Amino acid sequence: MRDTSRPLPFGAAARAVFDLSLEGMLWTRRSLLMGLLIAMPALFALGFRIVLAADPGAVVVTAHDFYAMIVAVYWIRNVLPLAALFYATALVADEIEGRTLTYLVTRPLTRESIFAGKFAAYLATTLSLALPACVLTFFLVLSARGLPAVGPAAGDLFRDLGAISLTLLAYGGLFALLGVALKRPLIPGLVFLFGWELLVYLPGYLPRLTLTAWLRSLVTHRPAQGGLAGLLGEQVLPAAQAVPLLVVLAVAFVWAAARIFSSREYVLEQ
Amino acid sequence: MTRSRLLVIASMVVVVLGALAGLGALWLNPLRAAVGPLPGEALVLPADARWVLGLDVQRFAASPFYARFAAQPGMKPGSLAELEEKTGLNPARDIDRIVIAGSGAGKDSPTLALVTGRFDLYKLGRALETEGKARGRNHEGVTVYAFKEEGPRATAVAFLDAGSLLFGSRDRVEAAVSSRTRGETPLRGNATLLRLIEKVRPGSTFWMVGDQSLLAGLPATVPAPGGGEGAALTLPALRSLTVTGDLDPQLSLAITGEAADDAAARNLADVVRGFVALASLQAQQKPELLQLASAISVATEANRVLVTAQVPYALIDALQAGQAKRAPKPAAVR
Repeated sequence: MRDTSRPLPFGAAARAVFDLSLEGMLWTRRSLLMGLLIAMPALFALGFRIVLAADPGAVVVTAHDFYAMIVAVYWIRNVLPLAALFYATALVADEIEGRTLTYLVTRPLTRESIFAGKFAAYLATTLSLALPACVLTFFLVLSARGLPAVGPAAGDLFRDLGAISLTLLAYGGLFALLGVALKRPLIPGLVFLFGWELLVYLPGYLPRLTLTAWLRSLVTHRPAQGGLAGLLGEQVLPAAQAVPLLVVLAVAFVWAAARIFSSREYVLEQ
Repeated sequence: MTRSRLLVIASMVVVVLGALAGLGALWLNPLRAAVGPLPGEALVLPADARWVLGLDVQRFAASPFYARFAAQPGMKPGSLAELEEKTGLNPARDIDRIVIAGSGAGKDSPTLALVTGRFDLYKLGRALETEGKARGRNHEGVTVYAFKEEGPRATAVAFLDAGSLLFGSRDRVEAAVSSRTRGETPLRGNATLLRLIEKVRPGSTFWMVGDQSLLAGLPATVPAPGGGEGAALTLPALRSLTVTGDLDPQLSLAITGEAADDAAARNLADVVRGFVALASLQAQQKPELLQLASAISVATEANRVLVTAQVPYALIDALQAGQAKRAPKPAAVR
């Protein structure tokens, strides 16, 4: 018999919260919208194949450059950080807004295990949407000029899957921290994404203060960019430093978020 | 099992299948070569090579670039038909890849080319001998056709087998044949170039790598824009240069230059960005230059400068048309 005066063990509690949160996260309008946004490149890729089959002369970009643009600009720079923002800031905020947090924290579960289960559910949800989209897009685009063209680029697929996972982990950790620390985390999150992260285009050491510079250094795609971004260029940081740094940052963000969630008193508005 | 878990598992199955297919494609890749995009046969190229250049002839011949420029009068399409009639060789059909290694930057520096594909050795040899241009002889079990010119610029072609031949200065061809016979791979001794070749993206239509001696002939300064007479920008020296490119459906170029240190790379990147910005500023007079500037992006990675360009053929046409319009018209003959 379990001692009911003590909370459930961390692993069992986190797993229970994971199952509950996953069910609540995957089958929502937010997931439908984010799923469409994340999987859009697979539709673009299908369009690319159809146009290529109908009129090869109408396609003005190589399959490799098209895929590079999707990974480096669409996913890693824009859509995945946005998905992380909407999901991770809502991990606790949704419970507060729905006034269901009381039901969770009054259960025999430690707050750390609640947060760990919720963050794991966030990762499972976003990875389930992003990774298959990347695989489908890769094969649809790169096989456009015949299967032999897939082989030379196959190394990129593994690198891109890793970079996408790290993007969701690092931004997810940061935005989960914002979500538990701030009352309205969306605006600061958007300012961070589309303000602070533009430091990536500045010279000197400033790009090292952004997450996107480290994440973009993980992929080999460097699509040409017009406008200010193209003019100022970007620094590519050493990938060997980027992986451990991003993992350490993500762990630190998640740890800090769990600590704040464990110690904070949440007063639900009536 | 909940429907959520089922969805997560289904997603992971797609990823695992994709990863397995990717591994299979990597393993069965017909372009899998000895080092980077270099075929195994090319390792007989000399160890003292300062630069190596590769061309995927099949991709080149299938590109819009070839279709556009092969038919131009300057390309003499008739001579290709004549070549096929005499030797049975249709370069666009029969040649797969060309790898050229050079031991210097000058015009007279020795070079050696390895050509792989499908060759009718009998027809080729007969064409060379009947025209009296070359005389064949056996060199360590391989037929080497030496052209009649003697001295340091004497050239030769060696038929290694029905799938590969060597062309270049006679002593280099013979040395490479000897290396092959002994099972040696001289190019493996050139660690600097091999390190650069390893980084070349496989599947590129053309690529080139060169060490610092190749770049020694480049100017160390360029005129400073807007500066007075004599004002110049000092260009940081490059240790190596890597160029890869594709021609279909547009001209795509990726140039990587390795500078001495991070600061030198940033300086060089700034110089390149300056030129791109100058091109943008001229957009009022030459709108096509704005498009060209947008097609180029410059980045730095530690001590490396990465320049990528994606230039549509329509833009190349616009640039050529603009140049022709601005060219001074010849004076009327009275």
